[in-house]
Amino acid sequence: MKKMLSVVLAAMMLLSLLAIPAMAEDQVLKIVTWDATTTPYLIAQKEAYEASHPGVKIEYVDVASQDYPIKASSILRDDKENDIYMVKEIDDIIKWNDQGYAEPLNAYVEKTGYDLSGFVGTDKNYCVGDELYAVPFRSDFWVLFYNKDLFDAANEPYPTNDMTWEQYAEVAKRLTKDGVYGTHYHTWLSAVANWTVADGVNTLADKNYDDLLYFYKLYQDLEDSGACMAYSELKASGLHYSAAFANGNIAMMPMGYWYVSTLINYNKEGTCNFNWGIAAVPHAEGVKAGSSFGNLTGAMINKNSTKKDLAWDYISWLGGEQGAAATASVGARPAYVSEAVAAAMSAVEGFPADETSKGALIPAFVGMEWPVADKVADIKTIVNEEHTMIMSREITPEEGIKEMNERVAELFE
Amino acid sequence: MSYGEIKRAHARMSRVERKKTLVAYSFLAPNYLGFAIFTLVPVVCAIALSFFEWNGGDISKLRFVGFENYATIFNVKKISQNGLGYFFNRVDLGIALKNTMFYTIITVPLTIVCALALALLLNKIKGAVVFRTIFFFPYVASMVAICVCWSFMLMKDGPVNQMIMSLGIPFNKSWTADSTMAMWAIILVSVWRNMGYYMVLYLAALQGVPKELLEAATVDGAGKWKQFLHVTLPQLRPTTFFVSVMMMISCFKIYDVVAIMTEGGPGRSTKMLVTYIYDEAFVKIRYGQASAISMILLVIVLIFTMIQFRSEKRFSND
Amino acid sequence: MERTLRQKQIRRTNPTAIRVVHVVVYILLVALALFTLIPFVWMLSSSLKLDREVFSYPIKWIPETFRWENYSLIWQKVPLLTYFKNTAFIAIVVTFLQTLTSSFAAYAFAKLEFRGRDTLFLCYIATIAVPWQAYMLPQFIMMRSIGLYDTLWAMVVLQAFSAFGVFLMRQFYRGIPTELCEAARLDGLSEYGIWARIMLPLSKAAIATLIIFTFVGTWNDYMGPMIYLTKDLNKTVQVGLRRFIQENSSDYHLIMAVSVCSLVPVSVVFLALQKYFIEGIATSGLKG
Repeated sequence: MKKMLSVVLAAMMLLSLLAIPAMAEDQVLKIVTWDATTTPYLIAQKEAYEASHPGVKIEYVDVASQDYPIKASSILRDDKENDIYMVKEIDDIIKWNDQGYAEPLNAYVEKTGYDLSGFVGTDKNYCVGDELYAVPFRSDFWVLFYNKDLFDAANEPYPTNDMTWEQYAEVAKRLTKDGVYGTHYHTWLSAVANWTVADGVNTLADKNYDDLLYFYKLYQDLEDSGACMAYSELKASGLHYSAAFANGNIAMMPMGYWYVSTLINYNKEGTCNFNWGIAAVPHAEGVKAGSSFGNLTGAMINKNSTKKDLAWDYISWLGGEQGAAATASVGARPAYVSEAVAAAMSAVEGFPADETSKGALIPAFVGMEWPVADKVADIKTIVNEEHTMIMSREITPEEGIKEMNERVAELFE
Repeated sequence: MSYGEIKRAHARMSRVERKKTLVAYSFLAPNYLGFAIFTLVPVVCAIALSFFEWNGGDISKLRFVGFENYATIFNVKKISQNGLGYFFNRVDLGIALKNTMFYTIITVPLTIVCALALALLLNKIKGAVVFRTIFFFPYVASMVAICVCWSFMLMKDGPVNQMIMSLGIPFNKSWTADSTMAMWAIILVSVWRNMGYYMVLYLAALQGVPKELLEAATVDGAGKWKQFLHVTLPQLRPTTFFVSVMMMISCFKIYDVVAIMTEGGPGRSTKMLVTYIYDEAFVKIRYGQASAISMILLVIVLIFTMIQFRSEKRFSND
Repeated sequence: MERTLRQKQIRRTNPTAIRVVHVVVYILLVALALFTLIPFVWMLSSSLKLDREVFSYPIKWIPETFRWENYSLIWQKVPLLTYFKNTAFIAIVVTFLQTLTSSFAAYAFAKLEFRGRDTLFLCYIATIAVPWQAYMLPQFIMMRSIGLYDTLWAMVVLQAFSAFGVFLMRQFYRGIPTELCEAARLDGLSEYGIWARIMLPLSKAAIATLIIFTFVGTWNDYMGPMIYLTKDLNKTVQVGLRRFIQENSSDYHLIMAVSVCSLVPVSVVFLALQKYFIEGIATSGLKG
């Protein structure tokens, strides 16, 4: 008996010895990203890639989103461990290229004959000069979310894909009663005043901020009439927009497209159980209906990675048609645009079935939330600082905008 | 004693001396090596960095720029045109300096008064241990936890404002979203957190006040208040001095509370030196300028430390 | 003059007057203690409430129903146990190393004469004044080059040799009469013997102080672990707490529950050692 046991044990040990190298043959790609455990599209992308590429494992290195800039730029130095870094802000690419961490990608594009046309030009944002440094895989633009149940209860027609900001403000005020807020603005600059870039002419780095005035006035008017929660309150409580809208007492909310996947999930989990839809964000007079602004998320190859070819295989897959399908499958919006992808987006289970919502999927124009520009990090700081001053009513919008103009001008003296 | 003997004695002495030094170094080595490698060397690098331009990338890209970083953060060109008022109201460094100083000037005396008052109340009273423990407790709690808790409490309809309202004072502002109150919120949390710590120092010092002095004062007909003013307070002077200097150093380095509660806002109203350093280094990746700002902080703090050392010597000579 | 003196003596000896003063002092103390504890009470009570009850108006200090399940919920949401283990490892090793090496070095600074003493000590002091953010990057470059990045040992070597510990122990040792050491030297004890048999036993209080400070400081450190520890397996309580706050930013009750959990270990260490600790501050030079 004892003998048999030892034979079995020896056999097992032998087997396990054999098994270890067999498992180690799996190649592991390490990807540095943020909020990996709570972001549905990251999970979907990983699953889809691993299923179609046996022998390759994706491993996320998770960082809290707020700490991503400092953490990523410190661990990038001499990093031989991680292969891919996700790009959170467009200007990260400028930073990382400056520091010499980003692998230039033109050679890979040529070598593999990679087709960039599906990105409809958004890939240009990741270029420094003519050299591409990252592949975009997500392109979020802002849409208007609305709570259908609240509109029904108030006998109000749903928002359309062609609505001016005045019309929107009127609707918001009409819907405000009995603890219902007509609309909701998150505390960010982007939620309140970024709309000026939707005309395709203005950018937030153009050194003149007079065009923001209209939107600050609009916001303050809504806040004064009680049609949205006060900024100071939101700021202090740190109330997250996702929870705010999911509470069910907010009729409309302009927000990035990424919130669609969150809402679909909420519906599944039962966190919220009202009907919602999306529409194109309102537009200013003279601006084409369906114009919006957005942001890109991309992936970059670490210059010190030891598996650059595999990394390229992954990010080209991620940006391309198949990766886009995986991204779209959970309700996120891929950067790659095609009929098939658009169909996949609206076919996601839980996506609102009405025509307006489907129509909102194809924006007429998407400006960049922040452009790639000289000293954009400094400009961001200034504009955001004055934004908080205006929003907490320390100064009037006119004063704040004057400050923005003056301080940004000083940067370039 | 012949010359040879003196020489031998000398040699013996220096051998003893050398042995003594070796022994001393053997005591120092374990800690000092670790300290030198992991702290001292990086600090020296940081000092040097303030004269370079560097984006945090390849070290070969370091470029010596002399005092240019200092000129930039002081915005020398503009100040020479517009004066100091411009510096303190418009330039980031000036604003950060002004805010940090304001915070320090209010926080230090306020904490000292609270700490001393607590210590006096607790001195020679039954159950002091319990109170002592309670007052000290905030000091051991994690910053992340207590700052989150305080920002909830200081909301517009939060418990603090509810209490203020119940006293009949009309006050319903969200503290952290108001440019005047935000600074006070940070001061409040700082005082709340530190007063217990400094209270313990005062309690210890109070035990050192000679009873005879107090008794003598009583015989001279001094009341409690006069006794405190003329006997206790002067006796506590060394402690007060030490406490205020230590606190000034830590106040100048304030970061966590601001980062968690206000992020320097609204606007620039709670922008501090260290939050500014953080921003320059990690958001704008200008390590040279970030180092230059820390050098200014270092100089300020070193001045205070020097004063502290001088007077420590004076007090111990007394 | 005489009359006022007598009046004062009467007032002082009057038992009811003393009692009144005492009562007033106690009332004041209780009020202040409440003020100090309010955030913790609020934290605790919120952690036992429902999400939407946290900000109900007027405040309910005692939850209607105690939702203990909040606490089991957070253990499912975050790998708190791993975080606790990592943090405990770092805190214990750091505290041990710090106490040992600091008291060793402090002995040399306080009781031995040797060349370069003041210069070496000044280096300690000067680094206290430099904010960590300023030299974080050079430090990181070095840590990475010696291969300690993303290991718990990175946090250990960063925090185990701080200037603070040496400073504190030196202040304490300076208070011990030099004659004691000299007598021991005459008795033939080596310097190591003096340190082990005389200094260490005398410095229990200071050591307790240092243990508390180091343990609390290491336990509560956020920025260090955030930068140096990357693998999920290596994360610490504070990093986990911050991440939890960001990812569940509207679950106030759960945030509070995690916060309460993160406070427990430090509270235990503090309460266990606080008797020595206060004595330690009183006798060490920390008071000036």
